[in-house]
Amino acid sequence: MSFLKKSPWIIHYDGSSCNGCDIEVLACLTPVYDVERLGIVNTGNPKHADIFLVTGSVNEQNKEVIQNIYNQMPSPKVVVAVGICACSGGIFAECYNVSGGIDKIIPVDVYVPGCAARPESIIDGVVKSLGILENKQKKLRSMQGGLEKMEILIAGISDSQEILALQKLAYQSEAEIYNDFSLHPLTQTLDEMKEDFKSNVFLKAVINDTIVGSVRAYMQADICHIKRLIVNPIYQNLGIGKKLMSEIEDHFNQAKRFEVFIGNKSKRNIYFYHKLGFKEFKCEKVSENRNRLYFQKIVEAKP
Amino acid sequence: MGGLISGFDRKITARMQGRVGPPIWQPFFDVLKLIEKENLVVRRSQNFYIVFFLILVIFTGGLFFTGEDILLVIFALTLAGIFFVLGGYKTSSPYSFIGAQRELLQMMSYEPAVILSAVGMYMVTKSFYVADIFYFDKPLYLYLPGILASFVFILAIKFRKSPFDLSMSHHAHQELVKGITTEFSGKTLGLIEIAHWYENAFILGFIYLFFASNALLAVFATLGIYFFIIVVDNVFARAKWQMTLVTSWAVALVFGLGNIIVLHFFKR
Repeated sequence: MSFLKKSPWIIHYDGSSCNGCDIEVLACLTPVYDVERLGIVNTGNPKHADIFLVTGSVNEQNKEVIQNIYNQMPSPKVVVAVGICACSGGIFAECYNVSGGIDKIIPVDVYVPGCAARPESIIDGVVKSLGILENKQKKLRSMQGGLEKMEILIAGISDSQEILALQKLAYQSEAEIYNDFSLHPLTQTLDEMKEDFKSNVFLKAVINDTIVGSVRAYMQADICHIKRLIVNPIYQNLGIGKKLMSEIEDHFNQAKRFEVFIGNKSKRNIYFYHKLGFKEFKCEKVSENRNRLYFQKIVEAKP
Repeated sequence: MGGLISGFDRKITARMQGRVGPPIWQPFFDVLKLIEKENLVVRRSQNFYIVFFLILVIFTGGLFFTGEDILLVIFALTLAGIFFVLGGYKTSSPYSFIGAQRELLQMMSYEPAVILSAVGMYMVTKSFYVADIFYFDKPLYLYLPGILASFVFILAIKFRKSPFDLSMSHHAHQELVKGITTEFSGKTLGLIEIAHWYENAFILGFIYLFFASNALLAVFATLGIYFFIIVVDNVFARAKWQMTLVTSWAVALVFGLGNIIVLHFFKR
């Protein structure tokens, strides 16, 4: 039994709306519509909210704000785009400063079109999102319970899309450390990813048919280059990364040396590789505020 | 019990505003939902403080309802409040800082009235034990009308209602987000909610003490005063902290202390 449906708390953010939709969102709280009878509370705090109501389109000014609010909400969470501007950009879609609907930035679960969206349809949209919220929670639970059932398999080219999506999710924290959202893992395209599949061996960690972690590596003259160890943020610190690393080391058991590189400010990653027996041996400057640290692990010859 | 009270509170408030309002069980749904949610923290230790807050509030309630020393009850409640404030400070967010500072000011505001109530009760009943006060055969409110008035005045602070909902208002979105609870989410927020239920039940019990000589009257008076607080909540806007501090001290001094001085001279 889930209580999410009975007490959805909402945070409302006005992107670049003309206020038409905002007034209608607030109208839902008035005695005529009174959404509190459904347990809906309009909180002003993303950390207390379950549903993110956005009105207005995305532009350069509010891009980061929307992203930030979304990231601060505890999961499970859903996003409802209210009004045609939030759905697609509406009549402002062609403006030079407008990037389009909310789904350009964060995943949107329910679209409520209209200019302005009527309170009835907003309430309908919110009620619809409750079903999605519950499904998300079920999925989350089944995945959390499935840690023992995790399998590590060799990924094929058909997994590239899922792994790419996971990579973008997992590298968010890295991008925040360096305040640089142009890191290659975040901007990589699907075609580049498929190209990677030709040269690299990909491993994937799978829980209930969902990929939660991945790593890739290739051999070059006795040296195994390991790249892009990624784990879904909700599964970090559960030992998945460690298992992936040991699997890939087993896979390339003829390698004399394993090599990885990481950013100099990613303290947790540095700690992680130290624990696995890797040692730092080289430092390379990439940009103003980012250095690459190269780590290696030399395999002792087996008797 | 506390949850039910707050459920009725929300229903009555909604009716006053011409709305249907949530079901009576809504506060329970809220807490159960919060327990299901992900718990995001700034620092892990912030949750630790909240656990202590809850334990001490339960301890306070336990002491009170088993009829122990009322001074100890008050000090335990204050200590619980301090842990809550520490939790708020620990999160190092500007909103919860404002909330925590205001919470401290609120504690300073209501503490004199609470202590004076304990003193007044002692002067009449010659005992600090809740059990003795409870079984005292004469009606306390006749001896302590001033103290009762000052206690009712600070009730709005303790129930976190307008005009004194400075530290964690449910309605102050732009001003301080959610005040002291801004950075708490999921399970911990649920614990805070439960602690507040305990607090509310305890405070209503405290009001009951004033009328304890007549059980029927006591129940009605307690509910009546609670209803009055809800009306005040709906009528007033939020006050500034200066006003909160000055008025609650003034009321505590004039009515509370005045009451005690009068008692001192007339009740030998």
